[in-house]
Amino acid sequence: MKLSFSPEDERFREEVAQWLNDNLTGEFEKVRFRGGPGDEHMFQEERHAWEKKLAEGGWTCIGWPTEFGGRASSIEQQVIFNEEYARAGGPGRVGHIGEGLAGPTIIAFGSQEQKEKYLPGIVNGTELWCQGYSEPGAGSDLANVKTKARFDEEKGKWVINGQKVWTSLAHESDFCFVIARTDPDSVAHKGLGFFLVKMDQPGVEVRPIEQITGTSEFNEVFFDDAECDANDIVGEPGDGWKVAMGLLGFERGVSTLGQQMQFQNELNEVVRIAKENGAAQDPVIRQRIAQSHAELKIMRYNSMRMLSGQSGSDGSLQKEALIYKLFWATWHRSLGELAMDVMGPESQILDPGQYELNRLQSMYLFTRSDTIYGGTNQIQRNIIAERGLGMPKEPKITAKT
Amino acid sequence: MDFTFTEDQLLFAESIKDFLQNEVTPESIRESWDSETGRSQDLWNKMVELGLTGMLVPEAQGGLGMREIDFVLIAQECGRVALPEPIVDTAMVVTPLLKDLVDKDPRCVSLLEKVATGETKVAIGHAANDLVSDAHIADYLLLTQGHQIHLLAKADVDLEAQQSVDPSRKLFAVKWEANDETLLINGSDGVGLLAATLNRAAVGTAAQLLGLSEKMVEMTVQYTQDREQFGKPIGTNQALKHHMANCAVKNEFAKAVLHRAAYTVTEKPVHGDFAVSHAKLAAGEAANLAAKNSIQCYGAMGYTWECDLHIFMKRAWALDKFWGHSGFHKYRLHQWLMNPNAKIGAEMTFGEQA
Ligand SMILES: Cc1cc2nc3c(=O)[nH]c(=O)nc-3n(C[C@H](O)[C@H](O)[C@H](O)COP(=O)(O)OP(=O)(O)OC[C@H]3O[C@@H](n4cnc5c(N)ncnc54)[C@H](O)[C@@H]3O)c2cc1C
Repeated sequence: MKLSFSPEDERFREEVAQWLNDNLTGEFEKVRFRGGPGDEHMFQEERHAWEKKLAEGGWTCIGWPTEFGGRASSIEQQVIFNEEYARAGGPGRVGHIGEGLAGPTIIAFGSQEQKEKYLPGIVNGTELWCQGYSEPGAGSDLANVKTKARFDEEKGKWVINGQKVWTSLAHESDFCFVIARTDPDSVAHKGLGFFLVKMDQPGVEVRPIEQITGTSEFNEVFFDDAECDANDIVGEPGDGWKVAMGLLGFERGVSTLGQQMQFQNELNEVVRIAKENGAAQDPVIRQRIAQSHAELKIMRYNSMRMLSGQSGSDGSLQKEALIYKLFWATWHRSLGELAMDVMGPESQILDPGQYELNRLQSMYLFTRSDTIYGGTNQIQRNIIAERGLGMPKEPKITAKT
Repeated sequence: MDFTFTEDQLLFAESIKDFLQNEVTPESIRESWDSETGRSQDLWNKMVELGLTGMLVPEAQGGLGMREIDFVLIAQECGRVALPEPIVDTAMVVTPLLKDLVDKDPRCVSLLEKVATGETKVAIGHAANDLVSDAHIADYLLLTQGHQIHLLAKADVDLEAQQSVDPSRKLFAVKWEANDETLLINGSDGVGLLAATLNRAAVGTAAQLLGLSEKMVEMTVQYTQDREQFGKPIGTNQALKHHMANCAVKNEFAKAVLHRAAYTVTEKPVHGDFAVSHAKLAAGEAANLAAKNSIQCYGAMGYTWECDLHIFMKRAWALDKFWGHSGFHKYRLHQWLMNPNAKIGAEMTFGEQA
């Protein structure tokens, strides 16, 4: 064990800090600290321009192997990058689904051709991705997807029909990774395929869904004879579940580092307001702030420990990774409640405008969803108990087809 | 000892419940968000006809001459439907204060009469809140300054609208000038009335919070029966049952505390602080838990504007912070408990609260 960074790493830190300091200025000044959880709808264009700027500096996908355009940065350096990024107020990354989920999945499971076709757009910040998993009948029971993919021999293409829902940022995305049934007679997690689908085509329709925040970060996506090329399926028909689950491993891995730093910024904001409005005098509030800080550190240390023990590059993590989603989601939800209690009576007053939530109000509302997306708290507990601890599974009821 | 309501109280509450459930629906609330005032004069008139605005107005001024304990169940029903109209403020906060001022200022007599008949609406400001709700539809405002209570016509104040997280709430910053004409009461009399006002308002708010909480649980229990995952209703999962059971426990326990507080502000208002703060805390906690657990049980659906849950959840959020937020009420509780003369002995279940 060695809980410090090497001189080389510290030099890397200086380099990152310097670059951010030089570049997060001018036209990008206004996106500092923006676009985080609950704020994704803000400054989309400017943040996309920023993503390309980052790419020019070689600061996207830094953990990826160099052959795919990354820097092959060590875990330590990725940690440092994320720390400095948050400290500088780097905006929410529009490319995070591509960099954190689609890219690593393609690297782990994709063909050479797919790598060449899709990774450069992610690395250079031009192409954005969304995740087409959930459907009206397939939420927690993800394996119940009904969207179908049929191979059309004549066209030499996959033809996709069905509906996805809650698809975050679909309206901004160039591509969607879609789980669809390749074997129409299959049920549950057998007979699925994992497809890379272009959004800008006649067979894809995106309809925004209004959220309780009054904004629309997620969408319904309808596939009506949408097409993708014969080789836009990752793995073989029938491998879809394996690929989809591998991807969820990435969701709990390195991509959590940046998120924690955003959490730190939010907690700092809560503390600042508590000092300013006097809430910090309230002993109950003081204790909750201390608790929150302590738990954020727990998360931080735990994910360092989890990542330094990370096994393969196939997204599979140690067992301890299973607990991570439950912990951070629940922590963040409590932070939202703490923020509102710190704001006190002010917390119910909006900024001037058309239902303009202020930053902490959006955060409070958004954190209601943290314990839902990416596997609800209940499902996470089932996974911890059944897969982590080996407790008996609930009796299986076969999903209706 | 009798911790129950009378047959009459229950029947009246039941009939108001039926009325409100018919008149105030998620659809009507959504419509009100798009209307200019967010309030329905038509609905107000009906509530006047039912006697709601005059419930706590003395018979001498044309009211029903009832008391706070008679109104608490109705306030719960107002919460249950997330009623946007300020009937709880009017009946439980404004009219009892005017009643206490009847001997001091004749204007209060005619105001009471007119509130009871629905001719006039009165909004109320208080140091506990920075803003005044429903000032835009009021004809008069009761406003406070230090220990003084003043009465102003709406024409004589400046209103600046402030939006609430709950699109149904209409809040206003009020600019106004006090003068000898506007003054109703001053000094220690004023202090007493302001304290009593806060307590009645906090009980009325707690009652609404409890109604909201029960409604959220009811909606969610229904949803968990309708929504299927893994080939069965999601409500079959123990995790969700426990979520709802935890809420039911909180709701049920908040009820006794709330009713005790309503009793105390009715019978021994000067000793109401402890019971009232306890009720506001218990109801606020219940409503916050119901909001949190309900969204969780709904899944992503509960996170949409289209789903009615947020109507109730946002009202709970707003009311939890009005008429004293949890920090304020906890402070009052421990101030009282740590008082060397606190009457917290074994024999003090219903004993006088010093
Ligand atoms: C803000 C947000 C963004 C999202 N973004 C995306 C996206 O980009 N792409 C995408 O594909 N999806 C996305 N989702 C969807 C998300 O993955 C689903 O909401 C989630 O999987 C839960 O499914 P559901 O909403 O259908 O809830 P349901 O599955 O209907 O669950 C409802 C309730 O039942 C409980 N439950 C269900 N089954 C069980 C069980 N066996 N045991 C115990 N409890 C159970 C759940 O825990 C929950 O409390 C997003 C959701 C949100 C809220």
